[in-house]
Amino acid sequence: MEYETKSGRAGPGDPTSPRQGVRKNLDFEPLSTTALILEDRPANLPAKPAEEAQKHRQQYEEMVAQAKKRELKEAQKRKKQLEDRCKLEESIGTAAQIWNQEILPNWSTMCTSRRVRDLWWQGIPPSVRGKVWSLAVGNELNITHELYNICLARAKEKWRSTAVPSTETEDVLDSSDRESSLELIKLDISRTFPQLCIFQQGGPYYDVLHSILGAYTCYRPDVGYVQGMSFIAAVLILNLDTADAFIAFANLLNKPCQMAFFRVDHGLMLTYFAAFEVFFEENLPKLFAHFKKNNLTPDIYLIDWIFTLYSKSLPLDLACRVWDVFCRDGEEFLFRTALGVLRLYQDILTAMDFIHMAQFLTRLPDLIPPEQLFQHIAAVHMTSRNRKWAQVLQTLTEQKKSGARLSGAEALS
Amino acid sequence: MSETYDFLFKFLVIGSAGTGKSCLLHQFIENKFKQDSNHTIGVEFGSRVVNVGGKTVKLQIWDTAGQERFRSVTRSYYRGAAGALLVYDITSRETYNALTNWLTDARTLASPNIVIILCGNKKDLDAEREVTFLEASRFAQENELMFLETSALTGENVEEGFLKCARTILSKIDSGELDPERMGSGIQYGDASLRQLRQPRDTTTQNKQQCNC
Repeated sequence: MEYETKSGRAGPGDPTSPRQGVRKNLDFEPLSTTALILEDRPANLPAKPAEEAQKHRQQYEEMVAQAKKRELKEAQKRKKQLEDRCKLEESIGTAAQIWNQEILPNWSTMCTSRRVRDLWWQGIPPSVRGKVWSLAVGNELNITHELYNICLARAKEKWRSTAVPSTETEDVLDSSDRESSLELIKLDISRTFPQLCIFQQGGPYYDVLHSILGAYTCYRPDVGYVQGMSFIAAVLILNLDTADAFIAFANLLNKPCQMAFFRVDHGLMLTYFAAFEVFFEENLPKLFAHFKKNNLTPDIYLIDWIFTLYSKSLPLDLACRVWDVFCRDGEEFLFRTALGVLRLYQDILTAMDFIHMAQFLTRLPDLIPPEQLFQHIAAVHMTSRNRKWAQVLQTLTEQKKSGARLSGAEALS
Repeated sequence: MSETYDFLFKFLVIGSAGTGKSCLLHQFIENKFKQDSNHTIGVEFGSRVVNVGGKTVKLQIWDTAGQERFRSVTRSYYRGAAGALLVYDITSRETYNALTNWLTDARTLASPNIVIILCGNKKDLDAEREVTFLEASRFAQENELMFLETSALTGENVEEGFLKCARTILSKIDSGELDPERMGSGIQYGDASLRQLRQPRDTTTQNKQQCNC
């Protein structure tokens, strides 16, 4: 993808290249108008004096020499571009080969090596992406394909029973709540990547997405279906087979940050936002002050970014690259990416008022240069006064707990 | 980007999932139906300057997520809202039944004076109607809400809904029922009105000082 945009940009910027390509093959042939200077004057005019003819010959030779130099330079530039292009193509190809032949078979020993981490940052080739994600996310929950099938069968049973109004005297509120969750899944599937036209009713992945979300509500009835999940499941489906997508989905949601958000544990979410603000102030003090002044709190833009792991807010190929490193670095990278986005658009944002910032951040530009974004993410330091993300988060969590205990004691006294 | 307006109103769009809140907002801002609509996670925004009763008013609109589960999050956005569109889907009784909960939240968390207009959306799907106009208008009367049936698809009554709400807030400001200077009123003066206001206010304080002497 990146390669294509690069070559596409080089094309129209150099409109004379095809003609020069032809000329190059003939060693060097001057343009016809350039050589007119050598011709004799028409018969009805006095002939050129020898001196003038000599001067013209000299001028012509200079012109030729200059043109030759220019052409040589351009030819070298073109050659370099072609080489770069081939190198990039080759690097994608060799990267896929390296991942397939060297890294994946020796995953446990290699996955933390410097070389693999560097390769990982550059983006995982799409052909191995799903496999790498699966390995990196792991399967702490020990979910098997059989378990997925059991959960799916249970979900299907439920769909059947709710389709026909039951006469059983169940807890009315409970059953209607469950039903609405199933209804909501259906509604949201049609509103998940609608522009791709593959998850909508009648599309090739409608059933798959429906199955995974339904199976999950049976696997974790305590969590159930929460908006945002359909985007995560959809991205996994695009990269993995159904059962493996389910395994990755359930394990991904089981991570502490995702659990906090999908259970909508508001207190814990606020702790995450507070930790984010520590690094925000550290990295972008000017923008941080501007946000504070305008009462733009991080929840306004972070909720969508974290819930959908950027799959709704960034272009899909760029979101996948964020997922790559998220799988490598964990939750910290989600917040680092947020700071990267803010850093990339710092100048634009500083000139905006509340409503324009809020609109901008909840609806990012359609075209975001991937390399530039990743440069900005790389420039974000995830240490604050020698403390790392996890330490800052832990301190804030403990403060909150002791604060709650304190206020509880106050209330008692 | 500098706009001049007399007032800025904070508006909310609230209601159950899938009732068409984001589509109503999109229709109001862009004047067209949003075909490929995503579901809102958290909150999205829109703004538009409108002319109401000779005043220019900037509407700052907070379009919230509809899923019940998100309510603890979206509640924090209610504070300081001057107006709200409370949306249900005329083809879904479930979304109508949930109105009381949304209403309680709005009145307790935003402000007891919040001006709310009830919008029965998807008016174009009359064949699938589950909630009659009559019962919804009765509900609106009982709860002191304005009421309209809207269609984000055709655009029917969409602009009217937002304007009606803004008009009511303005008339409440004029009658003194709403005080824009009270904290959390959801109303701010724009540049245009500040210029007019500063002048007389300075003279009144001067007068007071003279009286005190």
